[in-house]
Amino acid sequence: MTLLAAANGISLPGTDDPINVSQTVGFALLAALMIWAAIRVVTTRNVVHAAVWLVVVLAGAAAQFILLAAEFVGVTQVMVYIGAVIVLILFGVMLTQAKLGNDPNLSRRNWYGGAVVAVVLFGLLAFATIDTFEDAKLPEDRRMALPAAEVGDGEVPRTESNTGAVSDAVFGAYLLPLEVLGVLLTAALVGAIAVARKD
Amino acid sequence: MIVGAVSAHLYLSLSALLFGLGAIGVMVRRNPLVMFMSIELMLNAVNLTFVTFARELDDLAGQVVVLFVLVVAAAEVVVGLGIIVSVLRQRPGATADDASLLRG
Amino acid sequence: MSVASLLAAADTVPAPDVEWSALSPFLVVVVGACLLLPIAGLLPRRTRVAWSALFTIAVALGAIGASAWVWHDLSRVGPTERTTVAGAYAVDKFSLFLIVVICVGVILATLLTEGYLRREDLPGAEAYLLYLASASGAIIMVTAADLIVLFIGLEVLSIAAYVLAGLHRRRLRSGEAALKYFVLGGFSSAFFLYGVALIYGATGTTNLVGIAEYLATHRLLDEGLLLAGIGLLIVGFAFKVGGVPFHVWTPDVYQGSPSPVVAFMASVVKAAAFAGMLRVVVVALSTHRLDWQPILYAIAVLSMIVGAVLAVVQSDVKRMLAYSSINHAGFMLAAVSTGADEGIAAVLFYLAAYTVLIGGTFGIVTLFGRRGDGHHDIDDYRGLARREPFLALALTIFLLAQAGTPLTAGFLAKFYVIQAVVDAGSWWLGLVAMLAATISAFLYLRIVLTMYAGVTDADVEVAEPTAEPVRRIHVPLGAKVAIAAALVLTIAIGVVPDPLTHASRTARPELVAPGD
Repeated sequence: MTLLAAANGISLPGTDDPINVSQTVGFALLAALMIWAAIRVVTTRNVVHAAVWLVVVLAGAAAQFILLAAEFVGVTQVMVYIGAVIVLILFGVMLTQAKLGNDPNLSRRNWYGGAVVAVVLFGLLAFATIDTFEDAKLPEDRRMALPAAEVGDGEVPRTESNTGAVSDAVFGAYLLPLEVLGVLLTAALVGAIAVARKD
Repeated sequence: MIVGAVSAHLYLSLSALLFGLGAIGVMVRRNPLVMFMSIELMLNAVNLTFVTFARELDDLAGQVVVLFVLVVAAAEVVVGLGIIVSVLRQRPGATADDASLLRG
Repeated sequence: MSVASLLAAADTVPAPDVEWSALSPFLVVVVGACLLLPIAGLLPRRTRVAWSALFTIAVALGAIGASAWVWHDLSRVGPTERTTVAGAYAVDKFSLFLIVVICVGVILATLLTEGYLRREDLPGAEAYLLYLASASGAIIMVTAADLIVLFIGLEVLSIAAYVLAGLHRRRLRSGEAALKYFVLGGFSSAFFLYGVALIYGATGTTNLVGIAEYLATHRLLDEGLLLAGIGLLIVGFAFKVGGVPFHVWTPDVYQGSPSPVVAFMASVVKAAAFAGMLRVVVVALSTHRLDWQPILYAIAVLSMIVGAVLAVVQSDVKRMLAYSSINHAGFMLAAVSTGADEGIAAVLFYLAAYTVLIGGTFGIVTLFGRRGDGHHDIDDYRGLARREPFLALALTIFLLAQAGTPLTAGFLAKFYVIQAVVDAGSWWLGLVAMLAATISAFLYLRIVLTMYAGVTDADVEVAEPTAEPVRRIHVPLGAKVAIAAALVLTIAIGVVPDPLTHASRTARPELVAPGD
């Protein structure tokens, strides 16, 4: 329902608009789910459960991306993270023959110090962001970075999605990082083979 | 005037919270696989921050960055899991901090 | 949509201008790495001549040549500084200087690795390939004019380095070092990336020129976001250079990793991380110097003192050298914290000298480790001067140079740092630096004295019948060349420092908007 309403792109500025309410409700539900799942990832005593809870966080993030009008990124998130990364992690769990049940040895005994550091970190970051963006509202216009003129007379008819704009940026201003990613993937491939191969 | 849209700081607080939870995970957990999952959690929190800023600033760069980070994370997974699996297979129960051979 | 219209659409993608000649050092390394892959695959498993290593050295020399050519081009033809590929790649003397340092680090590490791999009976080519891949990441880091490019360069550098730490697969310690390096490296990368995100949020761009321009022309009402971003970036950099309190990985990783790889990590990884720190923190964020200066100041003081003190109390030579590298990082951080041009020049000189010193030091440590790379306890070094007079003498020179003895490269490196710090008005920091240098001199002297004081004749007679016969150390050709070259450079830089001093002073990181 939320996604449908957002995808229609209807927004009625200045009115008591039900779409925005649904977006807020969607955000709140997803956020609560993600926080709970993240807590479970960090606290569960079962490695497989941790991986499955991580899926929930990642899927929640993908949904938030779509709510934030970044459909392409959201879909990529689902494919790369849930499709590949989690599967690899589960393979890792199986290959290492970790205990599939509960493992009391999974956490450190003196975890208080780490928790305190992380809580202080969260406090600082939350303060910094809230301090800066206290009253900022996210813009409603979904045609991000697509000036009206470009939409009109470009050869390619622009659709509602921003995928085209993302690809222009990737092959334009961000060409160098894209090429370096190629080097990164080569290095990772060679590295993985070097780690895994037997004498 | 825009009414009723979700405030940016809610998204940013959510990602700060997720980042903090991931950091707790890395510092508190001992199993390398779970520590690794916590790092993925942190990277995802950063991605959420980037997309929120992309929306807030009405700028595509934030989204492009997230795509790159996804690739980087995938490359990290490949190498990291290779290392974790090879160490854990040689010595089950290895942890990243109290490895018996390396004194802290 | 038909194929024709798709092709027409492809033409409308705005591809940025690429200045291929300026990219040539990076391209040489990347293409070299890609060529090494089939070459190493076609060669038989064991060859008399180490073709892979020779090829790697040739690639690194080619990159040095390309850098020299671009340097010449910059001095003669001008414009002196510029960026290419949509303002993401900075072409200036700063990056060229560091590319040369990185390539020297690669050459020294490759020379040492060749003998190491033969001694340990390990398959070779992937080590060289990973050196080249990691070096290409380092080159991207020193040339990056965009935070995202910098992050991806950092990841290329790190991912290859994680695998290199675990190169000796049969040694559990090596694998555990890789595991520790990976987990803490990934952790620090996440912090770095969050810093990038917050700075993007505060300034609306990830391009360093854009950030500097935005901060120069806008007055931020709430600086919290930017300051948190700067702090997280510094945490990420400090992890990579091993600054206290982000140094916890350094001793374990240095101890567990193969010794030639440690030479690579200590030189190339450090050079790249310091380059990023200089260009981002010192140059792009120069408007906020009063905010980042105290953080760097604190990390520098802690690193110098903690590194020196903990190095003295270790009993494993590789751990000692790890803490001494933390101490060296503290010196460089002290120069960075001045934020002045002299400080930048001092860091560059220090990095160049340190690369040579660490290459030579770990070259000899590799040999002293013997088969298995395990004989690194300080007691194993007892009496080495009698059995291996030349190697012991060379190690003595390298260690004295690291301590900062006059007429060696290390003296001027430390001297320039203290000079820059005092010129910037930080008397206290200069005093701490001198104190730390004195403490760390004990460490180097301890190793030297152990080698020379050695065992009494009675000990030898008692020990030798029971212990396995101690054979003379076989010094492979690559290690000979590397140690000799490092020795010559150490003395040469100490006696005739002018060329390097001049180069490090002209190599200032610049920020130039594309198209200027």
